Parts: sequence; C-alpha cells; structure tokens
Amino acid sequence: MKSPRLLAAALALAFATAACGSSTPTSTSDGPATLDVWLMKDSVTPDFLQRFQSDFEAENANIKLNIQIQEWGGIGQKVVSALASNDAPDVIEVGNTQVAQYAASGGVVDLTDKVDELNGKDWIPGLRDPGAVDGKQFGIPYYAANRVVIYNKDLFAAAGITAPPKTRAEWLETTAKLNQGTTQGIYLPGQNWYVLSGFLWDEGGDLATKDGDKWKGGLGTPAGAAAVDFYRSLQALGQGPKDSDEAKPQQTDVFSRGDVAQLIAVPGAAGLITKANPALEGKLGFFPIPGKTADKPGAVFTGGSDLIVPQSSSHPDQAYKMIKALTGEKWQTELAKAMNYVPNRTSLASALAENPGAAAMAAGAVNGHGTPQSPNWAAVEAKNPVKDFLTAVLTGGDPVAEAKKADDVIAAALNSGK
Amino acid sequence: MKWRRIPLTASALLVCVVAVFPVYWMVLTAFKPTKDIQAPTPTFWPTTVSFDHFATAVRASGFWLFWRNSLVVSLGGVLLALAVALLAAFAVARMRWKGRRAFILMVFVAQMTPWEALLIPMYVIARDTDMLDKLSMLTLIYFMITLPFTIVTLRGFLGAIPVDLEEAALVDGCTRFQAFRRIVFPLLAPGLMSTSLFGFITAWNEFAFANLLIIKNRDDRTLPVWLSSFSNTFGTDWGATMAASTLFMVPVLLVFLALQGRVTSGITAGAVKG
Amino acid sequence: MSIWPYLLIAPTVLGSAYLLLYPLVRNLVISVQHFRLGELIRGGATFVGLDNYREALADPVFWAVVRRTLLFTVVNVVLIMVLSTLVALLLSALGKWLRLLVMGCLVLTWATPIIAATTVFQWLFQSRLGVVNWVLVQLGFEQFQDYTWFANGSSTFGILVALIVWQSVPFAALSLYSAMTTVPSELYESAKIDGAGSWRLFTSITFPILRPMFGLILSLEVIWVFKSFVQIWAISQGGPGDATTTLPVYAFQIAQSLNKYDLGAAVSMITVLLLVVVLLAYFRQMFKQEAEL
Repeated sequence: MKSPRLLAAALALAFATAACGSSTPTSTSDGPATLDVWLMKDSVTPDFLQRFQSDFEAENANIKLNIQIQEWGGIGQKVVSALASNDAPDVIEVGNTQVAQYAASGGVVDLTDKVDELNGKDWIPGLRDPGAVDGKQFGIPYYAANRVVIYNKDLFAAAGITAPPKTRAEWLETTAKLNQGTTQGIYLPGQNWYVLSGFLWDEGGDLATKDGDKWKGGLGTPAGAAAVDFYRSLQALGQGPKDSDEAKPQQTDVFSRGDVAQLIAVPGAAGLITKANPALEGKLGFFPIPGKTADKPGAVFTGGSDLIVPQSSSHPDQAYKMIKALTGEKWQTELAKAMNYVPNRTSLASALAENPGAAAMAAGAVNGHGTPQSPNWAAVEAKNPVKDFLTAVLTGGDPVAEAKKADDVIAAALNSGK
Repeated sequence: MKWRRIPLTASALLVCVVAVFPVYWMVLTAFKPTKDIQAPTPTFWPTTVSFDHFATAVRASGFWLFWRNSLVVSLGGVLLALAVALLAAFAVARMRWKGRRAFILMVFVAQMTPWEALLIPMYVIARDTDMLDKLSMLTLIYFMITLPFTIVTLRGFLGAIPVDLEEAALVDGCTRFQAFRRIVFPLLAPGLMSTSLFGFITAWNEFAFANLLIIKNRDDRTLPVWLSSFSNTFGTDWGATMAASTLFMVPVLLVFLALQGRVTSGITAGAVKG
Repeated sequence: MSIWPYLLIAPTVLGSAYLLLYPLVRNLVISVQHFRLGELIRGGATFVGLDNYREALADPVFWAVVRRTLLFTVVNVVLIMVLSTLVALLLSALGKWLRLLVMGCLVLTWATPIIAATTVFQWLFQSRLGVVNWVLVQLGFEQFQDYTWFANGSSTFGILVALIVWQSVPFAALSLYSAMTTVPSELYESAKIDGAGSWRLFTSITFPILRPMFGLILSLEVIWVFKSFVQIWAISQGGPGDATTTLPVYAFQIAQSLNKYDLGAAVSMITVLLLVVVLLAYFRQMFKQEAEL
C-alpha cells in the first residue's frame, strides 16, 4: 500500500514548486488572520481577557482572537494531539511543570531570537528555565504565582482571632478554634499535592531526589512521614473531601458559601470567590503559609505558565505579536493587578506593591520551590501517585507502605527513557 | 397456588427496582432543587419540581450544537453501516462463493477489535489525510465500529426469511433486485431497525475517538465529550450534571420506544407467517 | 461463477481495509519502532525490533495487570451469566403483565448511555451526599458515614463490577429469554409428567437445547467485558493506584499519559492476542458451524 504521507509530501512539493514565483504562503504576516488561542481555566478572569482581546484587536486591525478556555483535566493529551496535528492552535498556555517536555519534542517554534525584544534578561527563572532546552527558548514566561492562605475576616473576628498565625503550631491551634459549629476551620481537599510538597520541603525533603543518574521518590523518608502527618492534622480541621483535589469540587465555590474560615490557594482565587459571592467583597484576608518557625514562611510551590507557539501554527508571526502584547509591560502590570500574579519580569514586581494578597504571596515566594528537574516530571503528574498516596493515608492506609508504592511509581516514571 | 407466586412476584419487583433505581435517581436529582440535593436526608420522591438544572445544562454553551453533532455522527455512521452491511449480508446468506467462510470468520474477528487500542494509529492516519477535527472522520469510524455487528445480525435476520419466497418472485418474472425490494426488504425491516438500534447506541456512547480527534474545532465536539467536561466544570453541581445526563439519555430512549414495538411485532408477525 | 458476491462484499472489504486493517498494521509498525512524543510530532521513527515487547513483558506491573484483567473478566462474566439466566427464567415464569413490566425496566437500563450511567454511579456512591452511604447508615452501618468508596481499591473495583453487570444483564437476559420461548413446551410437559423438578428441567432440557445461544452470549460478554474501557476510565482512570487498571486502560495510560506510544502499541497488540487465545474455543465452534452450513 502506498503511504498517504508520501502522497501528501509529493503534493506539498508540487505546490511548493508551483508557488515558487509568488511570495511564500506562510509569511503573510500582515494579512488578516484569526488566531486560535488556548488559555487555561481560571488562569485569568473573563473580564481581563475581554479587555485584552478588545485592546489587542483594536491595535492589530487584521488579527482576530479566538480564545478557548481549556480544562486542566486531560490537558496533556490535548496539547500533544494539537502539537502533532497539521493545524494546531496558534498560541497555547502550558503549565511550567509541563512545558519542558513540549519544548524538547520539536513541535514548538524556537523563539530564541525574540528573547531580547521581550526583555528576557530579567524573566523570573522559575518560568524561563523550564521553557528552554539546550540554550534555546521555546516557552515564553507568562505569569507565576504561589499559594497563600486566604481567610474569611468575619469568621476570624467571630472566633476572636486578631492576628494571623506565624508558625505551624499556632496555625493548628487557630484552625481548631475556628473549626466549631457550622464553620469549617479550613477547607483542604485530600489531594492537594502542591500543599503537601510545601510541607515536605519544610522538612528538608523533596518529591524525588537524584542519586547518581537514578531518581528516587522522596515520600518514604522521615521528612515525607512528617509532612503527611502535618497534612493530616490540618486536613481534619474541616470537611475537605479526602478523595478529591482542589478542582473537584471547585474549592473557591466551596469557600464562597461563607462557612469556611481558610483556604489554601493562589491570591488570584480571591477574585473567583467574590465573583461567586459578592457579599464576601472586602472580607477576605491573606497570609503566607506558616513555616515551622516564625522567622521563615512555609515552603511553597512556585507555579505558573509559559506560552508556546506550535510549529504547525498557520500564523506564527501574528501569534508572536499576541504573545508580545500579553507578556509585555502593559498587560503584565494589568495581570498583576487583576489576578495578583507575579509578573513574568522581576522589574515589574512593583505592580504588586500595595496589594495585600500579593504581599502575602511575595512573603511566601522567598521560600519557593519547583518540581524535580526532569522532562519526565509531566509523566508523573499525568498519573499523579502523590494524590493516591494522600488519599490512601488520609483514609487510614499505612503511611509507610503507601509511600513506598508512590515512590516506586515516581521513580519508574522519572527513570524511564525519553 | 396464589401463595406460591409471592416469591416470584417479589423477585420480579426486586429486579425492577435494581434495574430502574439508578435511572430514577438520576431523573429525580435532575428535578430536585439544589437545597434538597444537599439535604442530609435525601427524599425518594419529588416534593418540589425545579427546572433550574435543566436550564443550567441547556444554557451551557453549545449544548444544542453538540446534541446535533452527536445525532448527525451517530445516524450517519449507522445508516452507512446498514447500507454496506446489507449488501455483504445478502452475499453471505444467499449466495455460495469461494472465500465465504473466511469472510464470515473475518467479520467475527473484527467484532472483537479493542478500538481504544487503535487510537494513536487512527490519529496518525487522520492527520496524514487531513481528516483531523472533522465530523466526517468520526462518522467513518463509527461506521466501522458498528459494521461487523451489523453484518452478523443482518445475516441472521436474512437467513430467517425463506428463500422460496424470493425464488417464487423470480419465477414470476421479477429481477433479483425487484425480488429483494418487494419481498425480502419488507420482511427484513424489523431486523434492520433492531440492528440499527444497537449501532446507534454504540455510536451515541463513543467517547475516546471523539475526544482525541476533535481538537481545535470545539463546535464539532459530541455529547459524550461535552458531558465529561461538564462534570469537570460543574463538579459539585450534581443537579446540573444529572440533568445533562438525562438529556443525553432521551434520544436513545426515544429511538428505543419508536423501534422496540415494531421490532417485536415484526418478529412475531414473521414467525407466524414463516 | 458469478462476480456478484464479490461486488456485494467489496464496500465492506474496502472499508475494513482502510479503517481497520490499515490502523492495525500501523499499530503493529509503531510497536516495533521507537515512537515517542518527538516521533509523533516530527516523524522519523526508527525500528527497534522487539524491544518494546521485551520491555512490556519484563515489567511485573504488566503481569499484575494481566492477572487483574482476567479476574475482572471472570467475575463480571460469571455474575452476568448467572444473573441474566435467573432473570430470563423469571421472565418465562411470570404472568403477562408482570413480565412486560420487568422487560420494560430492563429495556430502560439497557437504553441508559454508558457515560450517563457512570456519572450516575459516581453520584450514588458519593462520600458526602451519596444515597448509598445514607441508606447504609440508616441500616445501622455507622462506618459508612461519609465513606469514601473511590479512595479504596477493592471498593472501586466492586463499584465497577456492579456498574458493568448492571449494564450488561438486560441484553443477556432478554436474549436468553427470547431464546427460551422457542423451546417447545411439550418437552417441559412430558418431563414434568416424569416428575422432574425445575432444576432438572433446566439442566436436562433448557440448557442443552439453548447451548449455542448460551455460548454466543458468553462469548459476546467476554469480549465486551474484557475490552471495557470507558466505564473504568470515567470512574477511576485505573486508580486508585493500579487497583482498577485492566489491559485496555493500561495501554491507554502508557500511550496517552506517558506518551510512550510504542510501548502502548506493543501492549495493545498483546491484548488482542490474549483476547484471541481466550476466545479460541469460540472460534472453533464458529468454524464448525460455518462448515455445516
């Protein structure tokens, strides 16, 4: 049987030669184009998007934006099938723990020569590094954020709490005091592995460590045991489901009902809460996740996103224009204000100055960490053994045995070939 | 005598309850107001009927579009399969030819294909022939998924129709095609319907291919894919999720109701005449 | 010899060649290549012989999955066959109205789309507001207060079995029942006169006569259960841990979550082979029947 691929190649060749005399079809950088843009759910508010879109379209009369909001669940498969297709979306937002594997795959446009134009020299490293492979920049830093504790000021006042806790011990005490009657002290779903990772880093551990050229899972260590133990004590002071993560149900929706005193989330979540229940406007406070001692905040996962342009985008030039706008000073400042995100460049951090949520986040960011540095890490997240581990331990499983199980899965995924 | 029937009746009712309860609970939840759903003590019959959840489901963007897509793709696949299978079934049931046995065996084998195993090659093929993001590709795949089963059942139904009738018609001067159209086809109609019912359910349910092959054109998504993202989006909103599930079930139920009666009556009629 | 039969099967053959055989061959080719994310996107995969098969077969997880798949199939199929035979017998013993009622209920179950059914089962077994926990607590089993069914491997497995059996029984029961109606009632009458009980009636008349029908339903259920995927994927994605990972789910995980398309292809080829082996008896039977026709 004749391969259709061969046939397609032959056809393409025929077209290419036929089109030799005229201008090349792909570089119609000024022609009218509709860009398909994939952004992630809840990464920005619809209002922010609308403002950005109308402003961008006004300045670039020939470019229309067709923005699609993607769900986090199953996004890996979705992005892969888009990158491998012949007609991919033009811009895709990808999480900073996942961008490395796409950058390495060869399906993403190399934007190294644009780095200077985008002021790449002061991009924050937590977003720049995962987006680069062998010195070439594929992912353009978009925004970063880390988790803080969002609290309900009314419920704190009702329980007679005047100052947010500074240490873990105080935190447990405060939360227990809040967890009375119909009030939940804290809403912590059983599978928030980002929060567990923070506790793990606090204890000096890590999700995985490299021993020579072999990875080893880090849950079955004394640090892992201490981390999950603290997670369990905290989780018990509320009614978070033990077998689910923060998106199922949407934790901001739960908090917006008003009977939850605390929530661990990025400060931007406050916007979603007040949108769901405007009565909570002005009643939300923020503090960094408490550490073991008062002099150092709790360790946090530095999360965020990069933007990529797939190789098979039909409008790479226009796509770059849009990325340039969204990651430029104007909209990064707006983003910081609207969503309390850390802008992609350190020099823009002042945009966050007078915002209480951002202040708490910046305080916590001092102790920021990333997931293990391996392109295979995305494979670990795809099957997330840390979530299973948490649920198993919270529902009475043996921590030692469960940790070993999870460590084996982590190691197997990280040590597998490319 | 009456007393001996009690265990029988009891087990019949038990079967009914087990069979119907999940469906009943789905519909009931869909009609309950949210505060009743979240009540610590559930109610087992409707007290207040609310259409809010249906409104949420229907107003979620694109519902009718996905509903239509699913219908088009399922019907398209099934009708194509019926047409193609009818030809093959006729060849198998009515003619003697070399390779017939091998053909039948291949059809049986094809019936057990684990389709999810072919996701990646199918993706690659669709990409290389520019069929990604197209409902027509889904239609073709659903045609193929339902084809083997359709051939097997149609052949069974054809085999049950006496050849004599057809031969008599041929003697009367009908062409082979006329004999088929006037004599066989009317007798076959119930068989065609019940077979298409199967195919329709299979195609209507299909999720994996629809999820993988429709990438950029979100307007071309089908209901199962939408429903799965719906429960993503409305994680806690069980009322809306159940309303969406109910709406998802309605077309299948309608097709069932429309065909079921005719299928059974058709079969009994055939048996009496046969 | 006429050319007509070949013209009539031509569309089937062409369609299958393009949409079944060709993907299958592509899958086979991928399974002997190094075919990961980069190769999917850029092309240019290299051949590696049987490396992927070696890797798959050497992994103890794979064998655990195979054992689990067989267990899953046996448990489900046995339950389906026993329950649907009982229901079919019940149907033939019932009076007209009650029978129509039960049949109606079965058809309703049968018509429930898979995705809808999985969603409903998740709702039934929800830890907080799920009706199953509520009923169990009312019955005095206090430990089911907020019990998290999907956090535990065995209970998730159990729920999946319940779901698949619930979905499969109607088809099997209705088919068996309609087959039972074809057994001449004179046979039962004379056996009854000889003093046979209901068990004897079943083992000496119903079952022997309907043996081919039982065989067909059994084989179909084996095929359907063995390759069931959507239910498992929608409810547990093979988890928690590996507790509900059967072969189709395993192949999907490897290919789609880990982007090891080559290894996934090898596993799926092995799955097809296994299914063929399991159903060898069925094929022999089919072959014999076709020979007689």
